[in-house]
Amino acid sequence: MLPNERFNANRERLPIDPRTDLPLKPRAQPGYYPGFSTLSQQSFWDATTREVVRKRVHEIPPFRFFKAEESRLLQIICEHIMPQDDRDAEHRIPIFPFIDERLHAGRTPGYRFENMPPDGEAYRLGLQAIAQISQKAHGKNFIELDWRKQDELLKSIHDAEPLPGAEEIWSRMPVERFWGLLVQDCVEMYYAHPFAWDEIGFGGPAYPRAYMRLERGEPEPWEVEEKRYEWKAPPACVSDPAEPDIAAHKEHPPAGQGGTH
Amino acid sequence: MKTPIGGEFEEAHDHEHHLGAMQRLDAPMRRFADDDEVDYLVVGVGAAGGVLLQRLARAGFRVVGLEAGPFWDTEKDWVSDEKGSHQLYWEDMRITGGENPLTFGANNSGKGVGGGSVHWAAFTPRFHPSDFEVYTRDGVGVDWPISYWDLKPYYELLELEMPVAGPAWYPWGDPHGYAYGPHPMGGVGDALIRGCTKLGIGVSAGGPVAILSGSRNDRPHCIYRGFCIQGCKVGAKASTLITHVPDAVRNGAEVRPRSMASRIQLGKENRVTGVSYFDREGREHFQKAKAVIVCGYAIETPRLLMNSACDEYPDGLANSSGTLGRYLMAQAGTVVLGRFDELVRMYKAPPAHALTEEFYETDPKRDFARGFAIQTVGPLPIAFAKQMMVARGSWGWGMRRVMMDYNHWCAFGVLGEILPWPDNRVTLSDERDQFGIRIPHIHFSLHENDKKLIKFAQGKTEEVMHAAGAKETLNEARFAHLVGAARMGKDPATSVVDLFGRTHDIANLFICDGSILPTQGSANPGLTIQALAARTADYLISQGATVFNSDKRDLTPPPVRPHLSPPGTHGKGVPRFG
Amino acid sequence: MKLTATNGARGKRRTQNGRGSWPDRFLEKLLPSRAAREIEIAEAHIRDGRFQRSLSLLAGASSVLAGAEVAYEHYRGSYGQRIMYTPVALGGAMTIAGIWGAFSKRAARTVLRWTSAVTLLDGLIGFCFHLRGIQRKPGGWRLPLVNIIMGPPIFAPLLFGVSAYLGLIASFLRREESPPIGLRAPKGLVLALTSAEIAAHHPWTVGLREGRFQKHLALATMVGTFCSGAEALYSHYKNNFRYLAQWTPIIIAPLLMGAAAAAICNKKAARTWLPAMSALAIIDGGVGFFYHARGVLRRPGGMKKPLYNLIYGPPVFAPLLFAACGTVGLLASLMRRER
Repeated sequence: MLPNERFNANRERLPIDPRTDLPLKPRAQPGYYPGFSTLSQQSFWDATTREVVRKRVHEIPPFRFFKAEESRLLQIICEHIMPQDDRDAEHRIPIFPFIDERLHAGRTPGYRFENMPPDGEAYRLGLQAIAQISQKAHGKNFIELDWRKQDELLKSIHDAEPLPGAEEIWSRMPVERFWGLLVQDCVEMYYAHPFAWDEIGFGGPAYPRAYMRLERGEPEPWEVEEKRYEWKAPPACVSDPAEPDIAAHKEHPPAGQGGTH
Repeated sequence: MKTPIGGEFEEAHDHEHHLGAMQRLDAPMRRFADDDEVDYLVVGVGAAGGVLLQRLARAGFRVVGLEAGPFWDTEKDWVSDEKGSHQLYWEDMRITGGENPLTFGANNSGKGVGGGSVHWAAFTPRFHPSDFEVYTRDGVGVDWPISYWDLKPYYELLELEMPVAGPAWYPWGDPHGYAYGPHPMGGVGDALIRGCTKLGIGVSAGGPVAILSGSRNDRPHCIYRGFCIQGCKVGAKASTLITHVPDAVRNGAEVRPRSMASRIQLGKENRVTGVSYFDREGREHFQKAKAVIVCGYAIETPRLLMNSACDEYPDGLANSSGTLGRYLMAQAGTVVLGRFDELVRMYKAPPAHALTEEFYETDPKRDFARGFAIQTVGPLPIAFAKQMMVARGSWGWGMRRVMMDYNHWCAFGVLGEILPWPDNRVTLSDERDQFGIRIPHIHFSLHENDKKLIKFAQGKTEEVMHAAGAKETLNEARFAHLVGAARMGKDPATSVVDLFGRTHDIANLFICDGSILPTQGSANPGLTIQALAARTADYLISQGATVFNSDKRDLTPPPVRPHLSPPGTHGKGVPRFG
Repeated sequence: MKLTATNGARGKRRTQNGRGSWPDRFLEKLLPSRAAREIEIAEAHIRDGRFQRSLSLLAGASSVLAGAEVAYEHYRGSYGQRIMYTPVALGGAMTIAGIWGAFSKRAARTVLRWTSAVTLLDGLIGFCFHLRGIQRKPGGWRLPLVNIIMGPPIFAPLLFGVSAYLGLIASFLRREESPPIGLRAPKGLVLALTSAEIAAHHPWTVGLREGRFQKHLALATMVGTFCSGAEALYSHYKNNFRYLAQWTPIIIAPLLMGAAAAAICNKKAARTWLPAMSALAIIDGGVGFFYHARGVLRRPGGMKKPLYNLIYGPPVFAPLLFAACGTVGLLASLMRRER
């Protein structure tokens, strides 16, 4: 596809500039910190950290865990969970390969909920459930649905009120736990990448050189000031409501799982 | 400047073992043979195990520490990166359930020499005197077999050994001061101080936290990089890996890394004889010992004892009371997130640097017993994104949008006391790990008092966040720390160990870690765990060989031995109040 | 400059020197005659090196500030090494020695002199320790920018030496009540010694005693201003120059250094540029003190966290040290030049 065609094909999936109501063109670095580059600072990092980040950026692991069919499905789902249509092709952050790699290596976060199957199996069941729902609701494979329909189907899982079609699977695996597993993996892979750090203005590795401007959000000499711009979520998506969207779990909010203190 | 002077930082090619930016492991390590009967075999070289090893080795005992994880080299093994630090956490499988299942791994469990003290945020408040008599005062939980005053000298000692930086005057609990000055604030600490002072709530700035505020000996001071819970490569944040283990090794202790204990062997006359363990290649060994101290923390300690069940103790070693594994506690760790119009950049400065204990004690005006603290936390992007998933229901473009505002958010953590309940417990699952050892199953549910406390604490923290200037707040329910599950007490029918950590059932088997805490207060448990370890060590030294050849149980308190501190501890810092 | 003329009756104005310089004329117009006269007397004392009491007192007073600042700065560093107590102790000792020296000539020549010398030495040792402290930070001197800013303040120990330096000078001066140079001895005796002979016998103390050390003091002004200006530069840089006023010491410091350098080469500059730039530095230091104090109060918690905010807010005494450098410059401008 030529760049222009690609642009047009994905118009519905691009964020909108509210001033013009036109799609924002994909760019190397979305976010409010234009020109900020953590990778440009890597000679200030210790060698071990530099190597870990270098591998993450340059050595994309091969697919080993998922079967071809599952891979195609999960890749599309990852594009919904962490959409990157506003990034140009060279600056997209691979997510699926790292999920595949984690499951292949059998790495876990150190626990499993008693009503959940092991992570790999949970993924397979979840993908199967999504495929079944898609067939039942639309009579089509998930990957053949249009983008918005896909987003809506996933939204129903997010809401813990999945569209009908996979009741048997959800009886074996709580839908909100599957959603948590999927989203946590996706954000872990995305926000581990230096491109994502540049996007959100996070300073990245900080040893031996650390920070000197600790207060008031002042940027370090090598960081940049924030330059905000307005954008609206793409028309074909339902994942950016104005208000927090946790009504479904209000009664039993899932406990957070990152270590903070 | 595009690069440091002399180009990018090189790899540490030397053959030295780095413990922080300056410190090196400077002595060769002694090796004991499996069949060489050592005096004390310490299982788990973490917060408590490290202190015990150091004390016992200094006192001249022959000691070995078995550690399931590696003996870290901080330069070669650790990274200044959130995702790349998973190896620091205990990520062997555990099954978690109950109404409010706990999470493990990065949240609360460490692996490798130093254990959890490697990735703690290093808040080190003392427990309050009231924490030791919760039942007497409030009619809930249980009293400790010791009082605050028994532990106070060890608090003071460990605060110097780590050392703890904090204000010259700390007003809560038993008021006291710190010998090391407070740290500068980051954006989160500024917000907590602004919010608290606006509401007239007392707040402590710059500590107490076990991070060096001035360089000491061969450890540089903090560089405020915010990667505390990814392991401190600087060597400013205290962990037993850099504070006590080097001195233990220097004094002839052996630390045997990558050795996973599988079973404590019970011999004749109701005495343990040693520990079976798997080495890094998966071969099983048996280390003989005259006495065994289990320091595996609140999950692995009961797991090991249960996996050591035998004919004499069918429900787990030292579990004649049936208490082992019960009364597991985590603290309410609800994170309240606030969005500010101005930038905060909460990734700078240590996550732990300011707190208030104004709500720590029971207040008759509230409808629940006990209380909570409010502390600074500083989630890095991945942790923050996961929080947004929970707290805001974010995904897709909503996630991208809220994450683009990462630098506008600020996070406070509640640290609330959850009471000990018998049904919150560790048992064994039928599943097995890579060594064939049965894995633990953890059941955890909140009770009425806990829920009321959390609700109140969350509301109060949101109030502080708003007073600090936040325009929007969210909250994420979660838990922090793990203690209990092998609690100490006077009555052998309702507790597992006595006031010095000796199991009621077996005279040469000890437990010394967070699992022996009967209740937990609203203070981070790390300091208390290490203080208890130093006290147990003093006791063992006083008992001498009696532990090895008799079942006599002498409960005389030992003298405090400040001369057993690691070198360079005393005569530094400022004179301390209180 | 606050020099009280205790011996006004005897302080006879020597009109042949400095009469034409503009600060004098300016002050004459501005001040009431009584004050102007006192200033004239003080000037005469300075010119003759007869201000031991005043300078002792000044050294003592500035030691209070320097001692207080080093006390809390080292508290930030937790007194991790015992040697960090020495400047605090010496700050106290200098205060006592300075006051004592103001009252006793003997104390000024012994206690003050030796306390000052030890304090100066301590400042030099401190400077070495601070260099070492920077080197010991992760990245060491390969990250000079971050590690100078976040490490021990590199020039602070030298600045700490300023008051000791003043004390040392004071110990060699004559006291206010001693007779002016011309009246000190029969003329013949003074004339009997050539300047070369004086220099041979007392290479510098005589010059000092007679107030002939303008160049020397100008050099001290240069060094002090460099240290103080450098501290201002990197700490304001750390603060990202949030206020325009933060540039002023950065601009004034090189001007004052330039004026001091000119004063070393040129007598005229010493009477014009040096006092002008010194006055600017003094005013700037005063304004800075106000802003820094305000900055401390504006921190989160404000007065509810007085100690903490004093420690981690803008350093309140630092602008006063900058002003002190200006004061030394002003003093230099009033001196006579070396023979």
